[in-house]
Amino acid sequence: MDNKKYAFITEKDFKGLVTGLIKEYKVFGTIKKDGFPAFAGITSFDELELFQSPTHLSAKEFLFPQRETLLKFNIQNKTHEPVIESGEQVIIGMHSCDIHALTLMDRVFAAGTPDPNYLSRRAKTIIIGTECFPDKFCFCKSVGTMTVEEGFDIFLHKLKKGFLVRTGSVKGEEILSRLTKSRPAAFKEIKEVEALQKVKEGSFITTLDAPAEELPGIYEKSDNSPVWDRIGAICYGCGSCNHVCPTCYCFDIKDEVKANLKEGERVRVWDGCMVEDFAKVAGDHNFRGLRANRLKHRFNRKFRYLTGKFDALFCVGCGRCSRTCLVNINIAEITNELIREHNKK
Amino acid sequence: MEMEKPKVAFFSFTCCEGCQLMVLSCEDELPDILKLVNIVNFREAMTEKSDDYDIAFVEGSISRKEEIKKIKKIRNNAKIVVALGACSSTGGLNCLKNRFPMEDVKMSVYGKEAETNYNVNDTIPARPIDSIIHVDYYIHGCPIPKKEFLNVFTSLLLGKRPDIPNQPVCVECKMAGNICVFEKGMSCLGPVTRAGCDAICVSYGAMCWGCRGYVDNPNTQSHGETLKKYGLTVESVIRKFSLYGKCKPEGK
Repeated sequence: MDNKKYAFITEKDFKGLVTGLIKEYKVFGTIKKDGFPAFAGITSFDELELFQSPTHLSAKEFLFPQRETLLKFNIQNKTHEPVIESGEQVIIGMHSCDIHALTLMDRVFAAGTPDPNYLSRRAKTIIIGTECFPDKFCFCKSVGTMTVEEGFDIFLHKLKKGFLVRTGSVKGEEILSRLTKSRPAAFKEIKEVEALQKVKEGSFITTLDAPAEELPGIYEKSDNSPVWDRIGAICYGCGSCNHVCPTCYCFDIKDEVKANLKEGERVRVWDGCMVEDFAKVAGDHNFRGLRANRLKHRFNRKFRYLTGKFDALFCVGCGRCSRTCLVNINIAEITNELIREHNKK
Repeated sequence: MEMEKPKVAFFSFTCCEGCQLMVLSCEDELPDILKLVNIVNFREAMTEKSDDYDIAFVEGSISRKEEIKKIKKIRNNAKIVVALGACSSTGGLNCLKNRFPMEDVKMSVYGKEAETNYNVNDTIPARPIDSIIHVDYYIHGCPIPKKEFLNVFTSLLLGKRPDIPNQPVCVECKMAGNICVFEKGMSCLGPVTRAGCDAICVSYGAMCWGCRGYVDNPNTQSHGETLKKYGLTVESVIRKFSLYGKCKPEGK
């Protein structure tokens, strides 16, 4: 680790940083909800709690809301105007997997016709990442997202006393120097973080049994695997995995007309490939009517289809889908099963 | 040229008329609605009656022989029939009585009068209206959500097919940021129940009782396994979840 990149702040500084940000911005941070880590709007430092495990939902909703108005129209006057709702905001407590997911979302929404709503929000968002520790569902180490070098403004590593701080942007540096009395990190503080990283690296209960770069090829050969029918039989098609996933970005567009039948809004709402009507088209034909086909599609989106387009895996190993699944469909276990099948051939 | 306003009628069968009250509580929209349609039948709101209507919103389940005749007449008169709320679309709470012999039900509710009162004597197992007539569209829920009524209403007037949700409540529960009811040590029907309610019960700390009926293709077998996994016996599950689910075991 290059010590020029690292600063040190005290606990008091951290409180000052968060309190200062709350004064200036809309701040979202990690809190405990019904005993589980979750993101929520916070208005005081005391509400914030930093967690080792991932939050229930990812932070994608602050950049890609579950429901947003894209334009307002008037049928009578035949007029319409675009709506872009975005404000300066800070998200505190994102882990390395989530920041990787964010950089993928940045690429998705900038590709093709850039999405002004997402990009406007992203440009006004400050990301403060925090270090984490794997639980039994996490497998970021196997998909290359255990550490993060970009996508954040400030990243905090908790030390026994205080925090080691990395900055990832000019904005991050500016905030740090304005709201804290940071100093360059000492050699032993950097060593402390390096030691913690080593412990973290050796603490994964879940890992994938093949290198990340081989996964697209393995998935390519798994189309006829018996795995899909087996998990298709137990899957609810409830879409929970889609909605907790930090890289599922699919949406539906609906035109909602007011009761006067004159004015209305075009809204974008989250959609998920696991629900039955996702691939249903005019005439009620459904391209993926079976849950088995929908699961195969979703898993392939994470490990194969999008890697061709963006040259990156779209599973960041956060384990949220496995954690939330009522019938215990575990994305890492299924991938390992496919790896085993592949190795037998 | 001004088109003639569509004529709309509201009818109630066996129900609490709460879904009609939900329609009446659309206070911000009612002035606009009244500019667009003529309401010709609406017992909850007016005394006039007419058999000349285009769209019939029907609340309540069918639980008397006489109601079978009435619902058939409504189907004949209307171009479009919309089931309004759980009693109408799935049979609703009224189907609880179907577990018992009709004679016992009559006696336990009306006592001696059951033998003499024609209306009581006429009772049959409760059922959704689509077990008698063809239904064009469904507005689910106990009670219906206002926004769903407005969505179906405006869609019909615009000649659009209404967008009726066919995804489990889990979708809206996740969007609401709720921690799963099962994680909180309770049980839930959300994974097999049709969304559209914004997971209101779970958001307020309860569980989903399935008032909106099943999604089109519920994985009920999987749900049985899930309930077992969380320590519920088959009997307790049936008791708990037969509140809304007695009429239609699967689908619709």
